[in-house]
Amino acid sequence: MDSAAAGLDFAVIGHQDSWQSIAAFVNSMRRPDQEKLSAAQIKTSYPFIPPRDVFRVKVKSADGTEINGVYIETFIDPDKLEAGFARANMQKVMRAAAWAKKMGARIVALGGFTSIVLEGNVDAVTTVAANFTTGNTLTAVYIAKALEKAAVQHGIDLQKANLLVIGATGDIGSACVHYFKNKTAGLLLCARNQQRLAQLYDALKKEEVEVRYAATPGELVPFADIIICAASSSGLQLINCRKKALVCDAGYPKNLEKAAGNGAMLFHGGMGQVSGGFAFDPDYSAGIYRYAAPSVIHGCILEAMVLAFEKRFENYSTGKGMITTEKMEEIYGLGQKHGIDIAPFYNAKGLWQPH
Amino acid sequence: MEAVKNPAMSMETFNVCSDIFSQAITGELIGMSNFASLAETIDDPHEKMEAVEHANSERMHAEGFMQYAKKAKLSINVNMTGPYWGNVRKQFLSYAGQQDFIACLIIQEVMLESFAVSMYTDVGNAMGGEAGRLFLAIAEEEKEHLEHSSDLLRAALKKDPAAFISKFETIHFNCMTILAEFTATTDLKGHCGVCNGECMKGSLHHIGLDVTEMRGNALALYAQALDNIGIPGEKSIVWIAQLPA
Repeated sequence: MDSAAAGLDFAVIGHQDSWQSIAAFVNSMRRPDQEKLSAAQIKTSYPFIPPRDVFRVKVKSADGTEINGVYIETFIDPDKLEAGFARANMQKVMRAAAWAKKMGARIVALGGFTSIVLEGNVDAVTTVAANFTTGNTLTAVYIAKALEKAAVQHGIDLQKANLLVIGATGDIGSACVHYFKNKTAGLLLCARNQQRLAQLYDALKKEEVEVRYAATPGELVPFADIIICAASSSGLQLINCRKKALVCDAGYPKNLEKAAGNGAMLFHGGMGQVSGGFAFDPDYSAGIYRYAAPSVIHGCILEAMVLAFEKRFENYSTGKGMITTEKMEEIYGLGQKHGIDIAPFYNAKGLWQPH
Repeated sequence: MEAVKNPAMSMETFNVCSDIFSQAITGELIGMSNFASLAETIDDPHEKMEAVEHANSERMHAEGFMQYAKKAKLSINVNMTGPYWGNVRKQFLSYAGQQDFIACLIIQEVMLESFAVSMYTDVGNAMGGEAGRLFLAIAEEEKEHLEHSSDLLRAALKKDPAAFISKFETIHFNCMTILAEFTATTDLKGHCGVCNGECMKGSLHHIGLDVTEMRGNALALYAQALDNIGIPGEKSIVWIAQLPA
């Protein structure tokens, strides 16, 4: 990898969210005659590998235009996503960004947990990558648009509904709060950072928005008709949520199925679908593609693709609290222009059945 | 861990130190023999002299380890024909026999040196004291070999990328498979013939080491060496993924 690859429109920096995914990914790279490696065997090498490009991605717009990109794996250990490993993970993300630059990628998407690793320090990427985006603007608008659509499908009147946002002060959570602040009966906010939560509450109160907040979701969940979970917490419990509450699992990893119980209508949010399709080379999709519908990708990754289609090679989503509703609408519209829109509703059990 | 200054070293520590030094000495002698074999096959007088100089450098490393082992009264077992070291040597000789200088460089200076630099560094940091300093000093010298070879191999890649990558891939699977089996959590091809008793991997914790960490770090350095030479990431990841574990 000495010279920049010709015509590389974008790079996606990412990671796998579980050892099960990693095992599938690694085994899809092995020859058919080789024995499959177990997760335990893979653990002895995978997390040590320095970031590198793994496959090329070709994406097709609805207007027939094609863009070329590359997926760069960070090899972040899914068991080491907590704050205690932040420094090591950040180093991996920075090395991956440098790799993207070396390859000549014109814009870089920080997929999944990689933007969370850098949250509060996203500017650091600009020292090694040409143009980058966290992709959070498109993720946030996909959450919002999907909820609006799901609410219509299930006869929920948004203007009479209470919306709970868990992770309300984060980049995506706060974007959703501002998007919905004048569209619902009331907002219920929950976040770990109490200082920022109180500041958000005060700001909304000044705008005469009906709002309550709490440090933990437990006391707010029973009042919520709609829940957006934009936090990456593994210990979250939503068992006392209203029957038929609409729940958007927008955290990372998406793991709310058990927490939400059986009564809730849960879908995985922040996801988009490319009508023109995309292709990997080499094609590892059998190992890494796990969605219930074709051509589905995380909104954060799609944002870089949309910007590449538009030849807008610029720092777009750059960090905490910078997402405006206008920008959400802009990137959503640009995506639609290229046949990129919200993904069909699905969860761990598969696609939602027609209502 | 200071083997010489601490006469009250536990039996477990003594055994694992003895095995580590045995492996290091065997590895250096393999390197010395490889360069000596290479020197015989080279026609260019300067390259021939360079190969002899490298062989001497590996000899001096082996002597350094031997001197320390003698002082510390470690139990040293040298075996250059065991299933792992012996097979690596056979691989090298097959390319040396074909006068394939580039292939020999890949095996000795990229594959074996990546593992040596990484593992000597880990051992040196864990052992500390005189033994630790010795391992770290030799790791530094081996690092220079690795860097020097990268320059030559980069030039070879530039000349004919497809042929070079294809050759490297073949050598990777011939040679790195052996090293991957050797460094797996359990010896995948049986006892190495170097450790005095049972495999030392299960005893590394006595001196604060862990085989998974050591193997991972070595593979990471090998991957970086491939990057420095200019092997595309999408190739190197598949090569590594296809190694035994």
